[in-house]
Amino acid sequence: MDKPIRRLFWLFVLLFVALVVQLTYVQVFDASDLKAKPTNTRAVEQEMKVERGVIVSADGVELAVNREEGQYYLREYPQRGLTSPWLGYNSLRYGRAGAERVYNEELSGKSGLLGITGYWDELIGKTHRGADLKLTVNVALQKVAAEALGERKGAVVALDPRTGAVLAMVSYPRYDPNGLIDPNTMGTVWSEINSDPDAPLLNRAAQGRYPPGSVFKTIVAAAALDTGVVTPDSRFVDTGSVTAGGFVVDNYGDSVYGEHDFTKAFASSINTTFAKVGVELGADVLAKYAADFGFGKDSPWPLGGATSVFPDAGGMDKAHTAQASYGQGQVLASPLQIALAVAAVANQGRIMKPYLVAQVLDYHKKVLDETDPSVWLQPISSRTADTLKDLMVEAVANGTGTRAALSGVQVAGKTGTAEVADDEPHAWFAGFAPAQDPQVVVAVLVENAGAGGSVAAPIARQVISAALGL
Amino acid sequence: MSLRNRELVFLIPALVVTTLGFALVYTQKSAELTLTSLTYGALFLALFVIAHLGVRLLASRADCYLLPITALLSTMGLVVLYRLNEDLALKQAMWLVAGLAAFLLVLAFVRNLNMLCKYRYVIGGLGLLLLLLTAVLGREVNGARLWVDLGPIGFQPGELAKVFLVVFFAAYLVDMREVLTVSTRRVLGVPLPPFRYLAPLLIIWGLSLALMVFVKDLGTSLLFFGALLALLYVATGRFFYVLVGLVLFVVGATALYFLFPHVQLRVDIWLDPWADPSNRGYQIVQSLFALAEGGLFGQGLGEGYLILPSGRTIIPYLETDFVFSAIGEELGLVGAVGIILLYLIFTYRGFRVAVSTRDDFSRLLAAGLTSIFALQAFLIIGGVIKLIPLTGITLPFVSYGGSSILANFILLALLLRTSAKTGEA
Repeated sequence: MDKPIRRLFWLFVLLFVALVVQLTYVQVFDASDLKAKPTNTRAVEQEMKVERGVIVSADGVELAVNREEGQYYLREYPQRGLTSPWLGYNSLRYGRAGAERVYNEELSGKSGLLGITGYWDELIGKTHRGADLKLTVNVALQKVAAEALGERKGAVVALDPRTGAVLAMVSYPRYDPNGLIDPNTMGTVWSEINSDPDAPLLNRAAQGRYPPGSVFKTIVAAAALDTGVVTPDSRFVDTGSVTAGGFVVDNYGDSVYGEHDFTKAFASSINTTFAKVGVELGADVLAKYAADFGFGKDSPWPLGGATSVFPDAGGMDKAHTAQASYGQGQVLASPLQIALAVAAVANQGRIMKPYLVAQVLDYHKKVLDETDPSVWLQPISSRTADTLKDLMVEAVANGTGTRAALSGVQVAGKTGTAEVADDEPHAWFAGFAPAQDPQVVVAVLVENAGAGGSVAAPIARQVISAALGL
Repeated sequence: MSLRNRELVFLIPALVVTTLGFALVYTQKSAELTLTSLTYGALFLALFVIAHLGVRLLASRADCYLLPITALLSTMGLVVLYRLNEDLALKQAMWLVAGLAAFLLVLAFVRNLNMLCKYRYVIGGLGLLLLLLTAVLGREVNGARLWVDLGPIGFQPGELAKVFLVVFFAAYLVDMREVLTVSTRRVLGVPLPPFRYLAPLLIIWGLSLALMVFVKDLGTSLLFFGALLALLYVATGRFFYVLVGLVLFVVGATALYFLFPHVQLRVDIWLDPWADPSNRGYQIVQSLFALAEGGLFGQGLGEGYLILPSGRTIIPYLETDFVFSAIGEELGLVGAVGIILLYLIFTYRGFRVAVSTRDDFSRLLAAGLTSIFALQAFLIIGGVIKLIPLTGITLPFVSYGGSSILANFILLALLLRTSAKTGEA
């Protein structure tokens, strides 16, 4: 009778081994698939229980805080729409966007950064808390920029050219992220902002792409000066128009400038001269410099941005090259890209990587991580940058950008009036100040609003003035 | 070391688990710090030390591992219950007291197993009566009619019937062993014992089918059927009976699958719970989610996502049928496999007892009790981890449930009594 009992025992051993095998499969090998199932709401529920890190501006204003509701934490954005272009949202139903999405690991405390502190707190049974973020954005400046732009579709970017720290980034129209948090309103708000033809979810500063118009001349001038094809004193004659490959180039407002030097051509934004210089440089050289300034490259913006476009040089004839030389044709740029290009001029030829998060802190306010400024690109030599800076100073002092000038501080800049089919042109301005010790770069774009000098330059003036504390 | 001292030493891990477990759940619930942890620890200590002393007194030569394993399983269950629902944990603690009392009573009054053998028909009749009671008076919960209300207490007669029927099977097979082994005629070349000896087998088969039909209790009928097959095999040593039994099972199960929607439903859910994850497949899908969340080392006691904000458990019947999922989430694969190993050791000790007995009845009784115990653990664990279709039965000693605790302590007492006769070290 012993043999059947032994066999019976082995049968049970087999059955129990089958249990262990299946259990191992479910708990280890299949676990990540099971966690990713759409019906599995555990992850969301778990994260809702975590007290998410607070996001604070450079000037100490709370931008994203938590409201306790039962055992859950809901986000609140005290600055409402003002910060929405980059702060984004953290919504139960619609997921995350902006900094809330990109820095979720830190904010929800999943990041390895919390390291020892996290484990220790777990051991002593403290509730789990995410890390706080201190941003580079200055809310006071953000407000000034938003008010200066007003209710006009467009974008304003202000950054520190020495570090790449973004000081303000405004986009209009905006949305109030608080509407996506409240379970009672989120449905209507979500469909409203998604069906709005003006696309308030789009951060025009980093994700919008526009023909840059004459602000692109900054890059063409950089190429011409850097290669030695022109000097500031090179002489040109304008007759009001020039033909390139069968295409007739006119000046803005049909102006005729006669004999002038390159400084004047830049300051007064003479299209005919830039068309000549561009054709002389050739499409290949223009394309190379555009690429060196960041066109065609993945956006360095940590939250993701649009890649600015310079057309393929191989497919460009003289007419295309001439148009590209004053930022028309197929050239497209985001306001952030334009700000970065100008930052190269302000920072001795180097473009610093733009960033939004200055510090990651635990709730004892201990700094866990800090962004070290780093160089993104170096498109031109510091000598070229200095020469170009003089041209930009002249453009604000005596050229198209006079409305960006401030008393007591020398402002350098370039305007742009980008023509678009069947509508008013886009108004651009990009510049920096103080010219001899640049602390802030500002790029302004206003959609279909007219001339850059009259529309965009005054906005930039207010932002620069506020940034320098004037 | 003497047997009983060894038993006492092996009770220590269980004491550590209880006190530590309660302390952990406590820290987690830190808001309401009371003396519960110590109370439970002391209660446990008192209970199992009394049980241990009882064994010392009443069955001093009994197996020394079964009681500590039981202690470990039941206190693990208590800790998890305390984490899920303090009221239920208190009730379960009271049931543990009742279970240990029943354990001591059985040890005290069943001094001689021959007595059980002698009253086999009474015991078998009682078992059947309990089942009939369920079929007639039963209240339907979760699609199965398992509960009988005795005043304020709900009772699951099926659990007790389980023990009674195993005793009856064992006694019955002692009688029938000879005739079943000696085949007298062949049908189509297959040796068959006389029909009148085969009849009980067919009756049991019919009964388990009837149980499935009337009580809708898949789990219990599978248990009876499995235990009977195991005993038939142990008694006769003939695989042929197992084969006949399995054929009967397959025939019966197939018929039931096509005849009864609730059986079909269980199987369909098992095959593809993802077809309807938020309704019919909800329970098993949530169980799998819980296990996946637990991973290798678990979320930690009290850290799992088991209770909804409304206070209900996210998996229905978490405290009873699905308690293993809670363990899997909070203690991880490591803890869950630990539980499985405890059942395996229990099974091993049970069969050791069976092998070392000196008479047929004890041997069959020990083998039968061990088989039904191991089978129950396998069926419910396999069900909640989707290895086999889900059958609503309890996880012995761990799940919440008075009837289950009582029945399993009686089962343990009988096993210890069987082993006491053998004097095996």
